[in-house]
Amino acid sequence: MATAPKEANKAAQEILLRVENVTKVYDGTVKAVDDVSLTVMKGEIFALLGGSGCGKSTLLRMMAGFETPTKGKIFLANQDITNLPPFQRPINMMFQSYALFPHLSVWENVAFGLKRDGMPKDEIAERVEKMLSLAQLNQYAKRKPHQLSGGQQQRVALVRSLAKRPQLLLLDEPLGALDKKLRESTQLELVNIIEEVGVTCVLVTHDQEEAMTMASRIAVMSEGYFLQVGEPDTVYEMPNSRKVADFIGNVNIFEGKIEEDEPDHVTVRCPECVHYVGHGVSGHSGMDVGVALRPEKIMLSKDKPNSEYNWCAGEVIEIVYFGAHTTYHLKLDSGKVIKAQELNNTRDLSCGLTWGDRAYASWSDLAMVVLTQ
Amino acid sequence: MAKKQSFFTSLSAGRLVVIGVPYFWFLLLAAIPLLIVLKISLSEMESTSISHMIDWSHGWPRLTLNFGSYQFLATDSLYFKTYLSSIKYAAITTLLCLVIGYPFAYYMARSPKHMQPTLLMLIMLPFWTSFLLRIYAWKTLLVSNGVINNILISLHVIDTPIEMMNNSFSLLLGMVYSYLPFMILPLYANLSKMDMRYLEAAADLGTSPFKAFWLITVPLSKAGIIAGSMLVFIPAVGEYVIPELLGGSSTLMIGRVLWDEFFSNNDWPMASAVAVVMILLILVPMGVYNKAQAEQMEGK
Repeated sequence: MATAPKEANKAAQEILLRVENVTKVYDGTVKAVDDVSLTVMKGEIFALLGGSGCGKSTLLRMMAGFETPTKGKIFLANQDITNLPPFQRPINMMFQSYALFPHLSVWENVAFGLKRDGMPKDEIAERVEKMLSLAQLNQYAKRKPHQLSGGQQQRVALVRSLAKRPQLLLLDEPLGALDKKLRESTQLELVNIIEEVGVTCVLVTHDQEEAMTMASRIAVMSEGYFLQVGEPDTVYEMPNSRKVADFIGNVNIFEGKIEEDEPDHVTVRCPECVHYVGHGVSGHSGMDVGVALRPEKIMLSKDKPNSEYNWCAGEVIEIVYFGAHTTYHLKLDSGKVIKAQELNNTRDLSCGLTWGDRAYASWSDLAMVVLTQ
Repeated sequence: MAKKQSFFTSLSAGRLVVIGVPYFWFLLLAAIPLLIVLKISLSEMESTSISHMIDWSHGWPRLTLNFGSYQFLATDSLYFKTYLSSIKYAAITTLLCLVIGYPFAYYMARSPKHMQPTLLMLIMLPFWTSFLLRIYAWKTLLVSNGVINNILISLHVIDTPIEMMNNSFSLLLGMVYSYLPFMILPLYANLSKMDMRYLEAAADLGTSPFKAFWLITVPLSKAGIIAGSMLVFIPAVGEYVIPELLGGSSTLMIGRVLWDEFFSNNDWPMASAVAVVMILLILVPMGVYNKAQAEQMEGK
């Protein structure tokens, strides 16, 4: 899926959805969404990522029309849809846990929206067949939703929301109800179907892996506003704040002060070590910063590194084996625990470290991100 | 079969008591009385005790069954007409209760959560007064010199009293009034459990709220509609008090025929036969319907 962002960029000329300073206040006091603005380009898969209660679902429901913004406007293809009821919007939604009509068959579920549009019968039949074959569900057309597996229900829900060829497809935790193994295969299937139809998507999820694999851009949300909006690799490798770094993936954060502040490098003095960062930072010497370092960018060794920067020493207190990689928990002399991830690229456990060993963690001068927020 | 046996043998004494109480209740107060009624319907007028039916003179018991009551039932068209008329009134009552009760139940189910217990109480409130008293109250309201006619005349809306008593209007009014809660309660139970996401999904797919009601809410409340209709229809078919007090002589209901056979004619076998046929009339379609429902739930 690494190619998805670039493809989307090429097509991303036209703005499809524009959210302008939207605020949603519940019961007069609770701000679920706080002055959020965003644009979604045509053909994009845009993910709203955040923990529960961060306002991502409320924002999605305002796009669908189930909630009205307290303040702000929503435009679809330059048309103001802020106050348009859901049944008049050319937007369809795939609901969390699907909301398939239990009294209707798979076929009737998919045809439901088309019938409401007064489409001729033979056209409906043609479209439904096409949709069902897209999701490989033709032989289940006569079944009721409760007679299908979770994965099949999920695909019915997807093609039901695609059947009307909406301008915008909203996905509310599309894989939330599936177990882990099924999620992985379904993720790609979902993206393939969406790309085949070529529909613009806004996706809500709390699962950062889901957001990374499916979306071309991600908005990380917390307490009703966006912390960062960007492509998955940008958000992962260049988080703009401690919150984002912490939310997306695993991270070790060292707190320290900027010592040298040069255009081509900075040094940050932390209690554990001195970081030499090989690029400039928008800050000044003496400033309090956090240095974020991902576990997979750390190398472990039994030998003391030959450098004055970018290493620290500690005791191995935990080894977590994942098969493809192993995560070592290192208790530094300062008492801080960091995680380091080593690839198991040979079949013997390569670095030969075991519980209680003293180990040296080192990293390159471009491995870390300096966080000022 | 082996599975079933092990199920019963594995029952502990405590479980047997718990299951046994309702079974015993059912046996004592429903099954046995029903069998007695069935037995009486098959005996002759004079011999209503079981010993008269069984003849031991040949050394083994010999049961004498008398189908005379049923023959009479089949030949006299009055009974047929009365059954038909009972079913007609019960069906109209059920339909009216549904039409009036559904909006009630819908409104209750969609009210704010904290309001619902109060509304439910209001539905139950009439039960605090005796059923008989409430029917008598209607009588005083509806008669020619009753409250309604007097008010209308004093307001010069009408000159002569409207005939509202002892006809099918007063009968249906009484029946709908009495049975309405039995329609509302199961409907409310069903509607309040409904998942609102189905309506959101329907709206999302381009359905206006009015259409979504007919396409989603009504079909999904089918179980509640059936339960409510059964609760109204079944007792309404055999209703006695309301036709007696409000129906007058022109409205034929099987409950009154039953009463007459039992207590005016003292013809117990005939009365029992009328009752047995009535039970069959209700049970057979119900059984067929239940079976169809069960099959629909299992298969595709």
